[in-house]
Amino acid sequence: MTLHLDRRHFLGLAGVSASAAALAACGGPSTTGGGQATSQAAEIDFKDVKPAAKIDFWSSHPGQSQDVEKSLIEKFHAKNPDITVNLVTAGANYEEIAQKFQTAQAAKSGLPGVVVLSDVWWFRYYTNGSIIPVDGLIKQLDMRMDDFQQSLVNDYKYDNKQWALPYGRSTPLFYYNKDHFAAAGLPDRAPKTWDEFSQWAPKLKASSGAQYAYIYPALAGYAGWTLQNMLWGWGGGWSKEWDITCNSTESVAALQWAQDSIYKDKWAGVSSKEAADDFSAGLTSTTISSTGSLLGILKSAKFNVGVGFLPGGPKAQSNVCPTGGAGLGIPSGITKEEQLAAGKFLDFVTQPASTAEFSAATGYMPTRKSADMAAVLAKTPQIKTAMDQLSVTKVQDNARVFLPGADQEMAKAAAKILTQQGDVKSTMTDLKNTLQSIYDRDVKPKLKS
Amino acid sequence: MTRQLAPHPAAKPKRPPGRSAKVPKRRWTARTRRDFFVFLAMALPNLVLIAVFTYRPLFSNMYYSTLDWTLGSPTATVVGFANYVTFFSSNDAPKVLGTTAVFTLVTVGGSMVLGLLVALALNAKIRGTTFARSAVFAPYVLSGVGVGLVWLFIFDPGYGVLAWLLRGIGQQSPQWINDPQLSLVMVILVYVWKNLGYCAVVYLAGLQSLPQDVMEAASLDGANGFRRFTSISLPLLSPTTFFLLITTMLSSLQAFDLIRIMTPLGTGTSTLIYEAYLQAFGAYNRAGYSAAISVVLFAILLVITVLQLRFVERKVHYS
Repeated sequence: MTLHLDRRHFLGLAGVSASAAALAACGGPSTTGGGQATSQAAEIDFKDVKPAAKIDFWSSHPGQSQDVEKSLIEKFHAKNPDITVNLVTAGANYEEIAQKFQTAQAAKSGLPGVVVLSDVWWFRYYTNGSIIPVDGLIKQLDMRMDDFQQSLVNDYKYDNKQWALPYGRSTPLFYYNKDHFAAAGLPDRAPKTWDEFSQWAPKLKASSGAQYAYIYPALAGYAGWTLQNMLWGWGGGWSKEWDITCNSTESVAALQWAQDSIYKDKWAGVSSKEAADDFSAGLTSTTISSTGSLLGILKSAKFNVGVGFLPGGPKAQSNVCPTGGAGLGIPSGITKEEQLAAGKFLDFVTQPASTAEFSAATGYMPTRKSADMAAVLAKTPQIKTAMDQLSVTKVQDNARVFLPGADQEMAKAAAKILTQQGDVKSTMTDLKNTLQSIYDRDVKPKLKS
Repeated sequence: MTRQLAPHPAAKPKRPPGRSAKVPKRRWTARTRRDFFVFLAMALPNLVLIAVFTYRPLFSNMYYSTLDWTLGSPTATVVGFANYVTFFSSNDAPKVLGTTAVFTLVTVGGSMVLGLLVALALNAKIRGTTFARSAVFAPYVLSGVGVGLVWLFIFDPGYGVLAWLLRGIGQQSPQWINDPQLSLVMVILVYVWKNLGYCAVVYLAGLQSLPQDVMEAASLDGANGFRRFTSISLPLLSPTTFFLLITTMLSSLQAFDLIRIMTPLGTGTSTLIYEAYLQAFGAYNRAGYSAAISVVLFAILLVITVLQLRFVERKVHYS
């Protein structure tokens, strides 16, 4: 093949390239400011604004909540006939919905009125200026903020503003197979500490016939969240404020213990896809999974399921459980009318009756103190454990929830330690360097001093 | 060396008197005008679509690769070639380029070699080849997402079929999904399984169009089956091999669905295209950096295609 590129062709090609480059530069972000995005921190006044007639609600249906979300929307329509809420499946999980939301942000079109945002995503939306503070709506719609579970609502506070409201909120729970525990002669309760469990595990494995006494949750599915429990129990963590501490002596000791449980003591394994499914299928006697998995496990397990608080470690036996799950936010790129309609919907789905209905259908925790949970608890008493555990929860370390991609990096490090028997100290030191560079590059410049 | 002969005077083309040697300009007649408008009517819609949906994103992406832009942010900073410098000076480059090279070479080689072997088997005149041909080709037309999900169940070390078979012979299943090195092996195996049907069908078409008289002549001369294959079939199949080399290499370099479904974090399986996806959409939101990785991929694809067209095509025998 030969290319004949004479002067005329070359000039033509150059012209096409220049036009294309000019055309390309028309789209995308503005580079005129040269600085970083700033959030729309000023309180929005919704006085004299008429709510829009139609908004989209983007959800990933956490905890298989599609039916209950439809039911809540119908009830909202009955109460607000002038506003139509269109439920959109915008992804199968928090990451997929985040992709769609950020792509819509970049395209500057097709944004929803209300969007589900997870614990690790909302802060990025804040730094990008993609969501509005809901304080103006709280004032306008007279929402009772004192009735919310404070630990859940405070997760979305930054810079003295409220950036979202809690929706499908969860904590990890310790799930155990009561039948296996009885066969092993163990008490019918979750272990108080991991040390206690390590004494139970050999008996459990020997008597149950299950492949593992305990299975670590799938690393691709939020390892940074579930391993937070062990790190805190051993006195370590992913970070202290913005100081990355994942390679501290305590953190390394915690993950060394986890590695030993797999390779040295051989009673633990690592889930490949979903620990809740492995547990329901009888592959393991115990695991840790979200409260959002509770109803699914109760439905599919063919044995008696027990739940308990997360075990403590040698340094801390209480307050070793992180909060998690999703909230609801309102985009900044839509009209004030749409934001007000979204605010009304937000107000409705976080009402005590709505949160109780959502909790009954999914196993997620009620986000309002006054939610009447009597009927729910009568039907599913295990939800009470999740609610009680709320009082001993702790806000997650900054490194996990505020650093973009940190969760993925933590999962990769965990994979190296727990599935390849990698050296714990050096793996965590590498992780620290990676997290530090993410902080320096992507977060530090955007923080308000 | 050949001698250059002077042209015979009689061979000189006769020119009508009064006309110069210059080639006359074609007249813009009614017919050529009509042909031109027909050409425009036919080609313009496609050219516009290609310009809008192929070239515009291509040039947009090149422009974005010069920005420090967080996906979703309305503003960005122009940083020139900093994203390229970051990529090539970080630990990412050797890891990602290495994974891409291993994935591409093994999947292209595997699909083509196995595809040829399957095609030779299907070319035999035995019963059931029509069914076998459909069965071999079927995975190629299946959705990559569906294939990925089904194979994930097969590879699951807890309750997958493979784990069950291994337990039957007293072996533990390897950690196919969690171990980064085994993840790459797993994805490669599934990719080859899915795509070898395509190579097999194309090779089969090539085998069936080989001239039988040459084969028969070779047989009469005493050439055995292996000799006929290596000395006649394989060289005559070179246009097919060349076509498959280009198409399978381009599609391997752009493989996405299986990697996304089977290893969402890309641990051990992050090829150039998947790394570009992860950086922008996976979690990091580094749209400018991701665009730079995409441009690197584009450059590699361009170089490979040009090299293949210039050098590999020369070795092809067209019968």
